[in-house]
Amino acid sequence: MITKTAEHTVIGTRPPRADAFEKVVGKAVFGPDVNLPRMAYGRILRSPHAHARIVRIDPTRAEALDGVYAVATAADLPEAADRTERVGEGNVNYKYMRDNTFAGDKVLYHGHPIAAVAARTLQIAEQALELIDVEYELLDPVLDVRQAMAADAPLLHEGMHTRSLAGTADTPSNVASQFQFLQGDPEQGFAQADVVVERAFETAMVHQGYIEPHAATAAWDADGTLTVYTTTQGAFDIRSQVHELLGYPLSKIIVVPTEVGGAFGGKNVGYVEVPAAVLARKSGRPVRVVMTREEVFLASGPSSGTWMRVKMGATREGRITAAEVELCYEAGAYPGSPVGAGANCILAGYDIPNARLDGYDVVVNKPRVGAYRAPGATQSTFAGEAVIDELAEKLGLDPVEFRLRNIATNGMPRLNGGFHEHIAAREVMEAVRDHPHYNAPLERGTGILRRGRGVGLAYWGNWGARSSVTLEVNADGTVSMLMGSVDITGTRTSIAMQAAETLGLSLAHINPAMGNTQTSGYSDASGGSRTTMATGVAAVKAAEEVIAKMHERAAAIWVCEPEQVAYTNIGPDAGTFTCSRNDETMTFAEVAAKLGGTGGALRGQGDVNVRRWGGAFGANIADVEVDIETGSVRLLRFTAVQNVGKAIRPGQVEGQLRGGATQGIGWGLYEGYAYDGQGHMLNANFLDYKLPTALDVPAIETEILEIPWPEHPFGVRGVGETPIVGPPAAIANAVYDAIGVRQGFLPMTPARILESMGII
Amino acid sequence: MNFSYGYRAPDTIAEAVRLLQEGGSGARPLAGGTDLLVQLRHGIRQADLLVDLKRIPELSAVRYDPADGLTLGAAVPCADVADHPDIRAHYPALVDGAGIIGGSAIRQRATVGGNLCNASPSGDAIPPLIVLGAEAEIAGPNGSCRVPVSSFCVGPGLHLLDQGEMLVALHLPIPSPRSGSCYLRFTPRGEMDIAVVGAAAWLQLDESLSYIEDARIALSAVAPVPLVAETAATWLIGRPADSESFAQAGRLAQETARPIGDVRGTLPQRLHLVGVMTRRALQGALRRAKGETIDG
Amino acid sequence: MANVSVPSLMRDLTGGEASVDGSGATVAEVLHDLEARYPGFAQRLLVGDDLDPALVVVVDDRPAPLGLSTRVRVDSRIRFLPAVGGG
Repeated sequence: MITKTAEHTVIGTRPPRADAFEKVVGKAVFGPDVNLPRMAYGRILRSPHAHARIVRIDPTRAEALDGVYAVATAADLPEAADRTERVGEGNVNYKYMRDNTFAGDKVLYHGHPIAAVAARTLQIAEQALELIDVEYELLDPVLDVRQAMAADAPLLHEGMHTRSLAGTADTPSNVASQFQFLQGDPEQGFAQADVVVERAFETAMVHQGYIEPHAATAAWDADGTLTVYTTTQGAFDIRSQVHELLGYPLSKIIVVPTEVGGAFGGKNVGYVEVPAAVLARKSGRPVRVVMTREEVFLASGPSSGTWMRVKMGATREGRITAAEVELCYEAGAYPGSPVGAGANCILAGYDIPNARLDGYDVVVNKPRVGAYRAPGATQSTFAGEAVIDELAEKLGLDPVEFRLRNIATNGMPRLNGGFHEHIAAREVMEAVRDHPHYNAPLERGTGILRRGRGVGLAYWGNWGARSSVTLEVNADGTVSMLMGSVDITGTRTSIAMQAAETLGLSLAHINPAMGNTQTSGYSDASGGSRTTMATGVAAVKAAEEVIAKMHERAAAIWVCEPEQVAYTNIGPDAGTFTCSRNDETMTFAEVAAKLGGTGGALRGQGDVNVRRWGGAFGANIADVEVDIETGSVRLLRFTAVQNVGKAIRPGQVEGQLRGGATQGIGWGLYEGYAYDGQGHMLNANFLDYKLPTALDVPAIETEILEIPWPEHPFGVRGVGETPIVGPPAAIANAVYDAIGVRQGFLPMTPARILESMGII
Repeated sequence: MNFSYGYRAPDTIAEAVRLLQEGGSGARPLAGGTDLLVQLRHGIRQADLLVDLKRIPELSAVRYDPADGLTLGAAVPCADVADHPDIRAHYPALVDGAGIIGGSAIRQRATVGGNLCNASPSGDAIPPLIVLGAEAEIAGPNGSCRVPVSSFCVGPGLHLLDQGEMLVALHLPIPSPRSGSCYLRFTPRGEMDIAVVGAAAWLQLDESLSYIEDARIALSAVAPVPLVAETAATWLIGRPADSESFAQAGRLAQETARPIGDVRGTLPQRLHLVGVMTRRALQGALRRAKGETIDG
Repeated sequence: MANVSVPSLMRDLTGGEASVDGSGATVAEVLHDLEARYPGFAQRLLVGDDLDPALVVVVDDRPAPLGLSTRVRVDSRIRFLPAVGGG
């Protein structure tokens, strides 16, 4: 492997993103921008009820409406296998996915899709929806995770029995599964503690809030090839989903990913591709289906609401002796909450010798949750960090000092049975301790405005998985790069930079492009903070193959042995071949010019399955100002510290830290799904589902640490997800510092703050 | 749901009135369209014909006269209202309200007249107009007339205009000496938000600037229509202009308010905020009555 | 003998032991060996003949994408964890 020990030339610089210009001027093609000749427009009929049996569906009147080309229901899909597969990094059961595409005998949430219509215009499709007759038998919904766990709760799936490693339960339940981690002897540990804190927490369901809705356009060729254009994080994942749900061969399905207007995990699973494909088949026309904003809220994949309990004990000297955690996560209508990931992340930063954690995956009458940027971790970290903070306070210790006394170290056994390797928890906390923000004076205040400061330590495990990059050398010495990863964060540039660095060429020499499932090699979804890391590994591998093959071409030109050819990819002579036999040199471009004559096309291929990767610790410092008359929380100052391994493109890394922090701020203070008693979502729009605006978020300061992951050629660790994990915790701890009342609920809205203070 | 509608842009009030009358309930006046177009798209309102009022000179005119007061055309965008030097100098509560409707992009289109005609209980321009004593000039098939803005809204989303009638302009009286006004609202977000509770206050002080000679208070989002807090305002007359008086006014305003609990605010929260926002609006009105101006 | 961590909810089958050794060339064979000595052990981890999709098997600290067919060495460490996702 060619490694660079000297200073990098391309890595670590700040070039503009390759995709920036066309996005800024509005020329980039996103999902809803796809237009095909003869295209029809699709709309989806959705359940107005949160829980009901479907007695009858009759599309006759809709089919008769002038301008309607086709109506589709569950009857148009083959039976799906009751089989679960890893798709997009989560698990998907295809029977449930089919049911979530078009409802079978029950609807399980407000917005559950039932049927779809394709028509000449969007307006006709809308009118046709009203002409599909559906008869429902209403059932009681269950909307709260703890109520869903109760013995007498209405059941969503009558045949669901809790699965766990203790066996399968006898009676049906809304608890789909449960698991336990156990380390040491918690009872003993609590007995050794001088101080014990126990708190319960609740967090509301939240949405990723991507501005671009789900959108797919499906078209069938005369030879039976189905092409689906879609906004997605994983073209190959969508291909698998379409293949399973339609029962159609993988080789006859092409998925073309468009540019993505935000995803954050919510676009690993498809929602509109299969309806579009069925409508296209039935109507004989391409069909485009675009979700409205309301549909995105009601019927895509938000993140779990939770109920959590955390109990921790520590000695007077500030050593944690025991922890006990209960995590109850809403899965929505079908099993599959991120409670496992939440369990992996809570308290990951601490050395706790005795601990038990019980996790529960619970179905409720809400949309089936999807992945949202470090899925599950933000919720559990909010709970864990609040109790850590309270323990520190009761022990009279500085919050950062207390964390440092218990900080996780390399080799430390973890609650989930693994152990930490090459982690930077200590370095991150020390960076917080030494940061100017943490040391800046802050007047707490005694009047209407009270100020406080809080910190939160965050962890996300990241991911590796499969990626594919092809590099082709062109006759002019430039290199075309095709990657199978969808670019959702600017990775086409950061991966091109890794290729350029390895090749010893400038970034301008590399032209990156996203492929589709027909043109590029199999790649897992872009998510889990894996793309710059794993697809980077693939790019380096492809670049190394290019260099090896170029050696052979140079040897052919010089009529010598390849072993007599050397290549420099660093320093002032970077990009130069030398022949030891005659001391001649040739540039990369000179060899490239002769590719035709030396054997034809020259490509390097990197197909990898990265099976080991580094997690990322991060931390936040938040200064808040609370108006104790209104309960408003204003962020005065906010800092994000994170270990990124190696910042390939620092501007991109800073953007991830700020963007994730902003979403965490929204999660902590503003955002949450609201329901009425019958399970109707009340705020399925951007007015009442409150994403923070630019006026609500201060300029977020960032500090990047580079403690490398040694198994990546450049030391890269995943970056994108850790930033969202810590902010609610840091803000909650800051609010406590300001007003002296612990917040146990997310979002910490003004009403909740006033309630916590006993003012209303 | 009808998605195709006609569009006309008359040049005169008479022509607009004629189109509205002939169009029946399917004809709707269009100014900025920032409420109407969204409602049409979502099927909350229906229309066959949109009558665009923006070409009618009277509706786009802003005129301040120290003898007459302010004449504000119904189709003047909020951004222009909030920037207008005479409105900033003499009717600051109107600037407070017009300057926070929607967001900065929306305010280039949204109008104060439209905010009034949308008749939302939380319309931010309405309580300021009420406390500033504004009158709505209405033109219709039977001629024109004026009504106090405080009577204009009759229910959530409902105003007193008959078919064929339209809002032409708002008339605000000349500001009295030693008076000041203020509008504040509580929202979770800094912008792009809707009032959870809003309070407009207008105070006229005595010559010593220590006592209240006259007062008006109006609240948004706490009743089916923007609410005049009559009792609280009347109580203030003759009282010292200080925090104790304002606190009592806040309590009296709470008794008048009839808020609901909904996804935007709980009932206890809204009641509590009526007190807080009323006090704070009165403080703002007091500062302005004593000479503080928006432009410093 | 590969060493298998026993998840806490399964320690009722192993008399409280937190780890057990099993022989076999693959994870599946090790489980088969453990099933014989601790009846019910494999069943808890499987759905039909496949690993429960809610679980991943980690062999020597690497997630094992081949699942039950993953080859193990004589000193391999095997763990079963809840499958975890990213976004």
